[in-house]
Amino acid sequence: MSDAMTRMAPADVTMAAPARDGEVLLKVEDVSLSFGGVKAIQGVSFDIRKGEIRAIIGPNGAGKTSMLNVINGFYHPQQGRITFKGNVRSAMRPHEAAAGGIARTFQNVALFKGMSTIDNIMAGRSLKMKRGFGWQLWRGGPALAEDVAHRRFVEGIIDFLEIQAIRKQPVGRLPYGLQKRVELGRALAMEPDLLLLDEPMAGMNVEEKEDMCRFILDTREQFGTTIALIEHDMGVVMDLSDRVVVLDYGRKIADGTPDEVKADQSVIDAYLGVAH
Amino acid sequence: MSDAVIAKGDGDAARWRKALPALATLGALAAIVAAAMTGVIARGNLVYDVFIDPFIAIASLPDLFVQTVWEGFVAGVLYALIALGFVLIYKASGVFNFAQGIMVVFAALTLVGLYEFMDNAGLPAGGFLALLALVLTLAVMFALAVTVERVVLRPLVNQPEIILFMATFGLTYVLIGFGEMVFGGNPKVMITQALGLPTGVSDFAILGGRVSIQHLDVAAAIIATTMIACLAFFFQYTRIGRALRAVADSHKAALSVGITLNQIWIVVWFAAGIVALVTGIMWGARSDVSFALDIIALKALPVLILGGFTSIPGAIIGGLIIGIGEKLGEFYWGPLFGNGIETWFAYIIALIFLLFRPHGLFGEKIIERI
Amino acid sequence: MAEKAVVDQVVGDTFAKLMLEHVRLRPQRIAMRWKDLGIWQTWTWAETGEEVMTFSLGLKSLGVAHGDRVAIIGANRPRLYWAILAAQALGAVPVPVYADAVADEMSYVLDHAEVKVAVVQDQEQVDKVLSVAERLPTLKHIVYDNERGLRAYDHTHLHSFVALQQTMRARIAAEPQLGAAWKKAIADGKGSDPSIVLYTSGTTGRSKGVVLSSERSIAAARDTVAFDRLTDADEVVCYLPLAWVGDHYLSYAQGLVAGFCMSCPESQATVQDDLREIGPTFYFAPPRTLEALLTRVMIRMEDAGALKQAMFKFFLAHARRWGEKVLDGGDVPAGARLLYWLGNLLIYAPLKNVLGFSRIRTAYTAGEAIGPDLFAFYRSLGINLKQLYGQTEAFLYVTCQPDGQIRSDTVGPAAPRVDIRIIDSGEVYFRSPGQFIGYLKDDDKTAETMTPDGYVKTGDAGFFDQDGHLKIIDRAKDVGQLRNGSLYAPKYIENKLKFFPNIREAVAFGQDQDFVTAFINIDLTAVGNWAERNNLAYSSYQELAGHPRIYEMIAANLDEVNRALAGEPRMAGAQIKRFLILHKELDADDGEMTRTQKVRRSFVAERYDPLINALYSGKTECPIATEVTFEDGRKGMLSAVVKIQDLTLFPAASAAAYREAAE
Repeated sequence: MSDAMTRMAPADVTMAAPARDGEVLLKVEDVSLSFGGVKAIQGVSFDIRKGEIRAIIGPNGAGKTSMLNVINGFYHPQQGRITFKGNVRSAMRPHEAAAGGIARTFQNVALFKGMSTIDNIMAGRSLKMKRGFGWQLWRGGPALAEDVAHRRFVEGIIDFLEIQAIRKQPVGRLPYGLQKRVELGRALAMEPDLLLLDEPMAGMNVEEKEDMCRFILDTREQFGTTIALIEHDMGVVMDLSDRVVVLDYGRKIADGTPDEVKADQSVIDAYLGVAH
Repeated sequence: MSDAVIAKGDGDAARWRKALPALATLGALAAIVAAAMTGVIARGNLVYDVFIDPFIAIASLPDLFVQTVWEGFVAGVLYALIALGFVLIYKASGVFNFAQGIMVVFAALTLVGLYEFMDNAGLPAGGFLALLALVLTLAVMFALAVTVERVVLRPLVNQPEIILFMATFGLTYVLIGFGEMVFGGNPKVMITQALGLPTGVSDFAILGGRVSIQHLDVAAAIIATTMIACLAFFFQYTRIGRALRAVADSHKAALSVGITLNQIWIVVWFAAGIVALVTGIMWGARSDVSFALDIIALKALPVLILGGFTSIPGAIIGGLIIGIGEKLGEFYWGPLFGNGIETWFAYIIALIFLLFRPHGLFGEKIIERI
Repeated sequence: MAEKAVVDQVVGDTFAKLMLEHVRLRPQRIAMRWKDLGIWQTWTWAETGEEVMTFSLGLKSLGVAHGDRVAIIGANRPRLYWAILAAQALGAVPVPVYADAVADEMSYVLDHAEVKVAVVQDQEQVDKVLSVAERLPTLKHIVYDNERGLRAYDHTHLHSFVALQQTMRARIAAEPQLGAAWKKAIADGKGSDPSIVLYTSGTTGRSKGVVLSSERSIAAARDTVAFDRLTDADEVVCYLPLAWVGDHYLSYAQGLVAGFCMSCPESQATVQDDLREIGPTFYFAPPRTLEALLTRVMIRMEDAGALKQAMFKFFLAHARRWGEKVLDGGDVPAGARLLYWLGNLLIYAPLKNVLGFSRIRTAYTAGEAIGPDLFAFYRSLGINLKQLYGQTEAFLYVTCQPDGQIRSDTVGPAAPRVDIRIIDSGEVYFRSPGQFIGYLKDDDKTAETMTPDGYVKTGDAGFFDQDGHLKIIDRAKDVGQLRNGSLYAPKYIENKLKFFPNIREAVAFGQDQDFVTAFINIDLTAVGNWAERNNLAYSSYQELAGHPRIYEMIAANLDEVNRALAGEPRMAGAQIKRFLILHKELDADDGEMTRTQKVRRSFVAERYDPLINALYSGKTECPIATEVTFEDGRKGMLSAVVKIQDLTLFPAASAAAYREAAE
């Protein structure tokens, strides 16, 4: 084979990622959150740039999930401000966050267990459905046309995630790995600008993890989605993410590229040191 | 192909174990019948009175049996409606709504009260006025739903279920107090005629006897069935219905896709309010409208035990089983216990069913994969 | 008769000619279906013609010329079938490659076939080809079907199927004579040229490239299309591997001869649903697929209500008694016929519908021996399941069972126009209309396989029974003897073992030994289900395989096989004396099986040599460490202590009495 041919190998995937000074999509400034006397997050600031994959790591109880819950509107921080797409706010309700283009998945999978895969992903289209209440009762005309369009979109996601075979199965009975995939599908159905993934690979075997990694990278490539993820598998984090923010006991202890973070002494002490 | 299933003997054993209570019961019954035939157990013996005599009565006067079953059916439909109110709210908000019974009374009282008020105010009585009162009552139920959401649910969101349950206790007394204050404590008469509900009776000659059927009961059955069908359609095929099922399955997931709980709660409480209104009209038309009616809420409890708190088909089938079972029990076995067994017999029926189907009528063994 | 006429109308000795005939004769009939985004997309013959032409010209623009080889890698997709036709239209030779082949295997085939262009399904295959690209001096271009994940790749030598077609569409619009020239080239094509190279998985050594010519392929397909009365109204679901002779023959060659519609499943995982939706009229499944389906049905029935189960059992028993007679038009009493009709209404028809078998007119199974019960099960439901015996070298058919002459233990008489000769050693030779031209770049092997008078050696031992039906015993070279001279046919024993649903795979040993021993692989679905129902906790295959109760269960199965062997005078000496349950499943990724799921006996024997020694040394257990390959190609070690169990042999004489006792 010619030299040119061997060079055909995939261009470094990070090439598609934005330069270090890309446009900021979300900015967290000096956010603090406490439950009663317990301080979950203390004065954390960082930003997420358009089109990047941003990892949030840290030992258990570092406040990672709380951080996602703050961004997503589940928790309202006592202090600090959050700028999303240029709009400043300190607190918003979850459905406002959803309407603003933030989608998420959960650490322990939160699906609508009694519903089929299709219905679960269709539920992700809730906000995109424009026709009002009256139209829904009359299932013809514009409402039907809209339904068909949504269904087509959802089928695209099913194809994307390769879950055609479980299209009509109730999700409660699916294996865990597939449930995670359906959950990702539901988040993608929202066509989010920012996708928050809470431990997308937890409890998966090697093969499932690789699939999930591929879906995450493809998601960015295909839909241009910005992704923030919490993950414990360091190999995955280093491979996937453009930049990493490290939390420990609710504080930010490091922020930078995977290589920078890996070399950071406080991270080694606090996190990697603990883990091994 | 039997060998395609390995060790099928063990599978059979498991099935036999499951069938054991049923078989034991059947065996005992067979023994009793045999004993009665051979004269070992005779009239006057308790066993005879319980297991033999009622069935002889059923066989000898089948028309009475049909009459009893019909009455049981109508009662059952109404039980099902009340249970449905519980199920709706429980599914969507995880709240066991103790106030459902009083909502029935409150809705009926509001309807009659508004009608009387407008009648007294000089508006011409009749169908139009009843319709107007109906629409206004719906508006009141909607206002109630919004109020409950604002005042009770929203502040208490994320609190333990027991707290919400206690809150519905409070709601019960608020509604009683408010109702008495506005409409007075005296029993009222349902505006059956003004609403256009039929009142006659038809007699049918069947099985060598007569069965009389109240037209009102027929109407009740038809309206209730239509209502249930509408609700089923609403839940299964509309977006709000899908959102509602989503909320019932997982609050946080529903929130994350942009479904607003508040809106869903209002819809659900309003739906439960409509169900309560329909139940109130039907029930009120058969007796009268007073706060004593709220004991019918207690009837819903065995239905829920039977059908499960989250199953709409369960509520319907459960309601029918309890309704028919309790009327039959009262009629054929009641005299043994000095009558009046209706109040507790429903629970016995529910318990007997649970013996055979421990997961409820429509419950399935839930094996979650983690 | 009308059917026959339709078949005869398509004349031509190359597949491209046949395609153009169909475009002319039935332009609006559906030629191809594929379920995409949940909807069945369809292409008529006219559309197929256009797709093939544009892609074919696209290949030409990439430098593909007469005699060049084009690899086709991926699952059953319309575009990959079109790529086969498109290459053939240029006189180039398509080389389908198993989609699940690991990069190494793939590189061997691509290198050996001197492939110039590879047409692949998706990113996974692109990555695989790229990872070995530097070892492939002849490979110039890669064309992919699904662009997912490939946007960021360097497209100098990488092309999208659709983009290539678009470019050609524009050029054809500008220069209409391009199309005419293309058709002219097809008309000039010679049927005697190679039309495809199919690599056989080969139970020993590297795979060999079997070269077939289109005129022979088409001649063979015409015979069987007539034999099974296939027409353009038939339906097939193409779910078998593209690179396997079965798919190329049954779907592609027969499809192009008869002009019927080929439906491609949405994905490998949805095949069952897709079968149900399409309802094929012609169907092929290897015994192991049929077995898996049956196991699934039985497991599902375990969860059904008591009434359903009782009905199911009752009517299946009735079907077992009368079903095959009803199917073969035998003598059936009216009462039994009525009950069968009722059973059909309540059980058989719904069951067939679930399996997607409602419309099947002809179904075949082949590849390995099928259990008599399994075979009878499907036939008793009214499915016309038949057996055939074939080889890639024959372009499939050597023998096949005509309707009404079906037996589970033979593979039928010679297929139309096939000559069979059995030589003294028992090996089967054949000469068939579709037989291959030779092995690619391996004249020695070709000469070794063919006799001077044009017969092909199958390597299988067999004999004709009194009805003229061929019965295959084993690979000719595998039929051997124990040290005491008893006949020992390992495959024969293994097949008997594999008929038990608990046993997924078995490997027997005994050549030049004192007695026969066996490795067992349990079937994780069946045994795991049993374990679940019996509250037997296990976390892995390994743990389950080593469980004493499982050993007990398997020992009972082996006893039964021994009892059966004892009943056959020539086989009584070959009873299994000791066995063990392997600590891992035999896997194609570890080289223990071929891609078509056949055990590589010698490889297994070598790999598990310590276990075999233990079997013959009287030990009761043996430690073993095995290297395993994960699907992504990484390797790991699996170690275990495998238990060995002894069995009591049955005396040959008393076997009959035992069997009666068992029944």
